[in-house]
Amino acid sequence: MSDRLRAVSGQVIAVGVALLLGAIIILLVGESPVRVLMTLLRGAFGDQEKIAGTLLQTTPILICGVAACIGLRGGMFNVGIEGQLFLGGFAAAWVGFTFSLPAGIHTLAALSLAVVAGAAWVAIPAYFRARYNTNEVVSTILSNYIAILLTSYFTIFLFKRPGGWSETPPILATAYLPEIFSFSRLNWGLAIGLLLAVGVALVFRYTSWGYGVTMVGSAPKFAEYGGVNVKRQGFIVLLLSGAVGGLAGGVETLGVHHRFMEGFAPGFGFDGLIAALLANGSPVATIVTALFFGALRSGSLLLEVDTSASREIITVIQALIILSVSAQVLVRRRGDSQAGERRWKF
Amino acid sequence: MEILDKLVNVALIAATLRTTAPILLVALGGSFTTKAGIFNIGLEGQMLAGAFFAVIGSIWTGSAFAGVACGVAAALAFALAFAVLVVTFRANEVVVGLALNILAGGMTISLMKAIFGTRGSIVGHGIVGLPKVQIPGAQALLGSWAPLISGFTPIVYVAFIAVPLLVLFYNRTRLGLYIRVVGEKPEAAEALGISITRVRYIASLLCGLLAGLAGAHLSLGYITMFTENMSSGRGFMAVAILIFSNGDPLKVLAGCLLFGFADAFSLRLQTFGFPSYLVLTVPYVVALTALFALSYRARPKIIKETLASMQKLLSVDRNSAPVDKNPQ
Repeated sequence: MSDRLRAVSGQVIAVGVALLLGAIIILLVGESPVRVLMTLLRGAFGDQEKIAGTLLQTTPILICGVAACIGLRGGMFNVGIEGQLFLGGFAAAWVGFTFSLPAGIHTLAALSLAVVAGAAWVAIPAYFRARYNTNEVVSTILSNYIAILLTSYFTIFLFKRPGGWSETPPILATAYLPEIFSFSRLNWGLAIGLLLAVGVALVFRYTSWGYGVTMVGSAPKFAEYGGVNVKRQGFIVLLLSGAVGGLAGGVETLGVHHRFMEGFAPGFGFDGLIAALLANGSPVATIVTALFFGALRSGSLLLEVDTSASREIITVIQALIILSVSAQVLVRRRGDSQAGERRWKF
Repeated sequence: MEILDKLVNVALIAATLRTTAPILLVALGGSFTTKAGIFNIGLEGQMLAGAFFAVIGSIWTGSAFAGVACGVAAALAFALAFAVLVVTFRANEVVVGLALNILAGGMTISLMKAIFGTRGSIVGHGIVGLPKVQIPGAQALLGSWAPLISGFTPIVYVAFIAVPLLVLFYNRTRLGLYIRVVGEKPEAAEALGISITRVRYIASLLCGLLAGLAGAHLSLGYITMFTENMSSGRGFMAVAILIFSNGDPLKVLAGCLLFGFADAFSLRLQTFGFPSYLVLTVPYVVALTALFALSYRARPKIIKETLASMQKLLSVDRNSAPVDKNPQ
């Protein structure tokens, strides 16, 4: 327990250092850090609509974060969640506006196709990673660019809403993810995200499959000697991660936009990955970090209105947090020889 | 044939050389870190920071070359941060690289808003672009082929001259040798008393230098403007090239020419009415295909190595643990 406490306090200190650095940068761009902080807080938690808005932003970050957690646990960096999110979002919208099915079933069908689309998009990088050890970081990053351009092409050239501007026709109401409150677009996607996070955590904790994945992630050679098929496992882990990434896109289109638009969810995939890294690959801790980043994002909307700072200042803060976390985690290993085996060698 | 003539001509080759230059520079920069055994996914961010601060420097000083120096300085700062975290603190290279990329993206946009009050792009404001070098006598010597060697910005020449220089650097200089030893056999380097830390710092900073030049080429070369995320994945393509070239300068050049051609060709296709979104995917698809195809090609080697190591393992087993093999 004291180990866990120390780990958590380490992350908290790192976040503090990052916020301090962020404050200096805010000063450099000519704003007052206090004013920015107060605006962020007001924008994120000011009233019930703002709180619902924060939870609305948290949802896709959480689901993408769970997707990243699955990969990280198995020793895979799925940096392609952004692309899987876009394809999943488009696939769900396509089911939503093409077919007419009874309510409920329609939503399920759309989400299922989103899951399949996400998994299918990561399948080729996953196959080459598992079979030929092709670096998955680069292949998934590059496939992001293709996915985003491809969905834009679908939207603008194949399925454009007549008279609309780079968006598909709206989906039928039967495919909506219902909203929770009348005053906000917050929908049951949040519940999906929470259930998913807890479910994945339970699988990792209590099933032998989950144990195997964690083993492969932390000590691949040990796992191989223990009889785990490391290659197959790696393939499945990336596929599952991609599937959850696709689900995030489906939830976003069915719950929030009710159509697919060009650039409908900018950066949620990367935010999810950062949230998962900050949570050290734990899906339950990702709930907390996703909420943190959701609040930052939601607060940043007001930042643009009320201060001269740009909303991208929160991206800077997020990056600083990850940098200081990555540094502090390894402080205790500083004295080691530099010659030890490096994992990311090619 | 007429279409083919329009698609492939001297102008296309010249355009290929122009589009190759930034990716070649950033990939050559990455070759230093690759050779030193560091996986540097942060090239993209270094390039982006270089592009942004080159524009800032150019506006402030009114001189393109001072702008380039500013861009290089910014990229060096990112490279230094990368080295501090990865080499000194031994943080995960992928995490640090990705975070620095995100930092570069957010920082450039925030600063753009703070300095110019705009979003999207910086155009005008007195940005001074790099001059084009006209090589005297090129016209007389080559006639209509002159655009192949003359009329580029200085950075393009630097990029292509850097290739043979790097070959010499790795094969003929002490530092080049040290970098290779540190990357390939760090244990040997340590035994020889080479400071792995210092060599990796030097490699990271050399990498930042070239990545900054590449960024400056993007914003002060043929287009004198800065747009959000204008490096658009070139740094990642460079990493893909580095993976299958293993950082060898000549192979890097070959890979970069392929991408430069894909880039120039796809721009050309756009003018023929192909949907721009699909055409824009071409360089990324080429990068991915090359990455996958060449890792497939590397397969026999992997199998051979696995077999060899298995044999070694088995023979060691037989020698050291004969007791286990005995039947009861």
